[in-house]
Amino acid sequence: MAQQNNFSSATNRKELFIGLYKKAFPAVAKYISKKGGNFHEAKDIFQDALIVYYEKLVNGSINLNSDEQSYLMGISKHLWSKRFKENIKYAPFNIGEDVFIEQDNLTPSSDKLLYYLETTGQKCMDILRAFYYDNWPVTKIAEIFGYSGVRSATVQKYKCMEKIRETIKERSLAYEDFIE
Amino acid sequence: MRTSLNEIKLIDEHIFNNGAPADAVLFDAMLVLDPSLAEQVLWQKNAHAIIIQYGRKQLKTEIASVHERLFDTPTFRQRILNLFK
Repeated sequence: MAQQNNFSSATNRKELFIGLYKKAFPAVAKYISKKGGNFHEAKDIFQDALIVYYEKLVNGSINLNSDEQSYLMGISKHLWSKRFKENIKYAPFNIGEDVFIEQDNLTPSSDKLLYYLETTGQKCMDILRAFYYDNWPVTKIAEIFGYSGVRSATVQKYKCMEKIRETIKERSLAYEDFIE
Repeated sequence: MRTSLNEIKLIDEHIFNNGAPADAVLFDAMLVLDPSLAEQVLWQKNAHAIIIQYGRKQLKTEIASVHERLFDTPTFRQRILNLFK
């Protein structure tokens, strides 16, 4: 699961995105423009592509030395063609703010639930994000969140998971359409 | 670590398939014998899904702020906007 990566701080991540934006966005924007898309569509597509790229990077599916520009272009082309097809099929005159990331199949109620968790348990959500989403090394998590060591950070991870899991269980009774 | 936290750890290992083989066999047996454990696995998967949703939302905000910063630079902004004229 968690593996070492080089983005164990928001600053490193920001530098990564600035670099990728400069390198790859002009080519992606040119492509979207050629396909008849506008600036906002290019921006949305590219930002979603960055998320896909980041997730692949932190879970070890790709490494930083691979050709980032081609990779981001490939993802953007895929997202654009997906968006184009879906718009033709379902909403030809309404380009929305949807995130076209295939793994994201939660129901609308998950937004309400997330909002609730953000307002009642932000610190736990941040710790869990660092562990499970960003795949930060546990030593770094302990340092950043102020735990005395790896063991106490790990215990906190499971305490937070327990808290979030129980909250989801309780709140799901209120948000009936929240399902896996 | 208290028992309930240890159970969470075992469920994580089951979800990510990264536990010791002997623990995995034992966990599979426990799943058969204890239906409430299977339910906990599902809730924990839901928790993972919402953590990913949270991570993506936060990341989008970070990326949006990078975008704003770069588009404050007139040369970069103009270079991109020229593509849509």
